[in-house]
Amino acid sequence: MTADSEFAAVALPLLPAIARVAHALTVDDADADDLVQETFLRAYKHWRTFERGSDCKSWLSAICRNAFFEQRRRESRSTAVEDQELESLAAARLHNSARASGVDNMFSRLDLGPAIARAIEALEPRYRDVVVLVDVEDFSYEQVAEALGIPIGTVRSRLYRARRQLQEALLAFAVDAGYATASAPIRPE
Amino acid sequence: MPNRSECEAVVRQLWPYLDGAVSESQRERIVAHLEGCVNCASHFDFAQSFLDAVAAARPHLPANEVLRVRVMSALMAEGFEAQ
Repeated sequence: MTADSEFAAVALPLLPAIARVAHALTVDDADADDLVQETFLRAYKHWRTFERGSDCKSWLSAICRNAFFEQRRRESRSTAVEDQELESLAAARLHNSARASGVDNMFSRLDLGPAIARAIEALEPRYRDVVVLVDVEDFSYEQVAEALGIPIGTVRSRLYRARRQLQEALLAFAVDAGYATASAPIRPE
Repeated sequence: MPNRSECEAVVRQLWPYLDGAVSESQRERIVAHLEGCVNCASHFDFAQSFLDAVAAARPHLPANEVLRVRVMSALMAEGFEAQ
């Protein structure tokens, strides 16, 4: 019996069972189908490592589970990167709002020290800690990650979110305090 | 004339660029774009002036807050787990 015919006889008949496992993991028909395909591709590629006589269903189920969690980790990483980049885009939009409100030079023109301190104190602790460490204490992302025991991606996410919240608060403050040179909506887009 | 998708790609890297957290090739691409794009450059200038203002606000922060963050960080580096 060739490896291929053995695979066809032993592994392929388990497709319906693995499809049920995949569906239970993904709860989505299309994702489940993709996962089943990925499972059998991997199983075929590593067929020679399958221990003959052992439970093929368990072996395939383990491959399916691993493929699912790897995929989820990849997606969560790419979502995190997307979120971080969206925070950068938000900073540009906020600049547009500041410009429309006539306060786009507020950081260079005004002494916002006390207002910045108040805005920092008003942040949630998890955002406040990261922004104080990076932007006030001059820690690197890596140093903060190590000090707080969180991944660098989390440092970035919290930092950029904190900056956006600070910018929004300061923009509102500058307009409310009458620093604007033009009247325009202050709400960031 | 800078194209819109290049502007967006560059602005997406605004914070990492200002923090010096981009690769050398990304940095070169961003610098080249900013030299020719006044609008994007103004976004980066605005964000940099914000960061300068936050750094300059240090004396206004309650000493305890800065100290608390520093001590907590040191403790956590030693394995302390907050709540």
